[in-house]
Amino acid sequence: MNKKLTIYRTLLTLAVFLALVPCSHAKLSVVCTTADFGAIARDIGGDLVAVSVLAKPTEDPHFVDAKPSYISKLARADVLIEGGAELETGWLPPLIDGSRNTKIESGKPSHVMCAEGLALLEVPTTLDRSQGDIHAMGNPHFMTDPLNARYAAQRIAAAFSAVDAQNSAAYRQKLEVFLQRVDKKLPEWKKQMEPFQGRRVVAYHNSWLYFANRFGVKIDLFLEPKPGIPPTPAHLAEVMTTMKTDNITVIIIEPYENRKTAEAVSAKTGASLVNFSQYPGGIKDADGYIELIDTLVNTLAAALKTSGASKEYPK
Amino acid sequence: MSEAFQIMMWPLLACLLLPGLLVYLGLHIVRREIIFVDLALAQVAALGICMAILLGHDAHDWQTTAWSGGFTFAGAALLTLTRPSGKRVPQEALIGIVYVVAAAASFLLLSRSPEGNEELRRTLVGEILLVQPGEVLRTFAMFTAIGIVHLIFRRKFWLLSFAPEQGESEGLRLWLWDFLFYVLFGIAVTSFVRMGGVLLVFSYLIIPAVCANIFATTMRTRLAVGWVVATLSSVAGLYASYRLDLPTGAAIVCALGLALLLTSSVRIFHNSK
Repeated sequence: MNKKLTIYRTLLTLAVFLALVPCSHAKLSVVCTTADFGAIARDIGGDLVAVSVLAKPTEDPHFVDAKPSYISKLARADVLIEGGAELETGWLPPLIDGSRNTKIESGKPSHVMCAEGLALLEVPTTLDRSQGDIHAMGNPHFMTDPLNARYAAQRIAAAFSAVDAQNSAAYRQKLEVFLQRVDKKLPEWKKQMEPFQGRRVVAYHNSWLYFANRFGVKIDLFLEPKPGIPPTPAHLAEVMTTMKTDNITVIIIEPYENRKTAEAVSAKTGASLVNFSQYPGGIKDADGYIELIDTLVNTLAAALKTSGASKEYPK
Repeated sequence: MSEAFQIMMWPLLACLLLPGLLVYLGLHIVRREIIFVDLALAQVAALGICMAILLGHDAHDWQTTAWSGGFTFAGAALLTLTRPSGKRVPQEALIGIVYVVAAAASFLLLSRSPEGNEELRRTLVGEILLVQPGEVLRTFAMFTAIGIVHLIFRRKFWLLSFAPEQGESEGLRLWLWDFLFYVLFGIAVTSFVRMGGVLLVFSYLIIPAVCANIFATTMRTRLAVGWVVATLSSVAGLYASYRLDLPTGAAIVCALGLALLLTSSVRIFHNSK
């Protein structure tokens, strides 16, 4: 009796497995380095793709700890999507080597570099490590500008169509939907930020340059003395002096940055601390890319409004 | 399963080929009661790496290896000079001081360097999962060379650790052999630290040796027990890391810890019978 049950169970498992095999094959297996690409890939691929993201949205994208599952995901990937602006350069190449998946090697069409062809900002004239953790190709946090995300979405859709040609019409159609959503939202976001043109904001790390340029604010004062170097007391004192003289009232902080430092500066200067994230899922109620920018613009505008009105420092 | 093997093959080879020498060296270290000497030397080597990084070299440049080697050499010299002559200052205290100061100095150096925290963490937990085939083979060649030196002079090294008084009465120049021991030891530890990190090196050195001391009395049987423990724990740790998606180095360290727990329970159970 027992034996019979085991046989049935085995057969059932086998049947379920066989039923699942075709559809898992039909879906394009997509691996993204960070959650911003992940969200856009899901928007464009819909049910046709299975997306997995390596770095957690709350994890520092400069440093990601390797785990065996990352290699097996890459080994099975049909498409790999990364920024391609040296943000992932410290951890992605050895993982690709380890996966031994020749499809997603650097330079192959299945290896999408979203920044390729994009004019990045702050390209250093000389490469010198004394300047901190700088990237030869320029500031790699380009996805904080919705127009760059628009460009990335086009590259992702093109790669999906190239790898999975029979569904290219579907990808193109979903891409159009995404682009239209961005185009509709962008003027609204700009309007929300309109009253705060030229206002300065403090960040922990220089990851908001593109966002700031798009929306007319200046995010050019950092708690880090140089990119990647932890705050020092002398530098923080300097930052706080500048905050007072320039009447800077908002500090933005990301999940993986040292919140205690930001809290101390906020307590001493009275500036308000705003939760920011470059990645969908890194802050509450923002699981898609457009929802993320929406939340960022809303919270930043609100913080600038409330904190700017109450204080007038004499120059 | 073939995928598991494909992913874990080089880490597995590294964990099967390399601990052989570490287990043997560990028996010396445990016998000499200088347990933390490997942590100290590994940290001194890491300090050399930090120095090279601060000077603008990449972690894989030959200059980095040279800096790290030079620091290890200096550390070995320092430890030779501190071989206990009297009981007033125990050597363990000096070893601890070397470790702490080297660690603090690395911290100071890397506070001026981007990615400093990441480098520091890497020296601690290593990247055994992403180990490069060339690195494994190079290190294995170096370990084999060190092993051969130890094999040729095995009696002298044995006297040095297990019966220094007898060695001295036989005219063995202890300081010279001590220095050679520390230099070879430093090279072995340093090259493994760059792959596996300080925690894994410490575990491979000490845990199999302690398990061996529980069960065996002669050098040969101790080596055999140590190698079996190291091999089984490596395989178990790698398997757990793959199945449960855990950081690989830390999983092996915990597997070794579990192995010690098992062997000591067996021993206690055996004794109480």
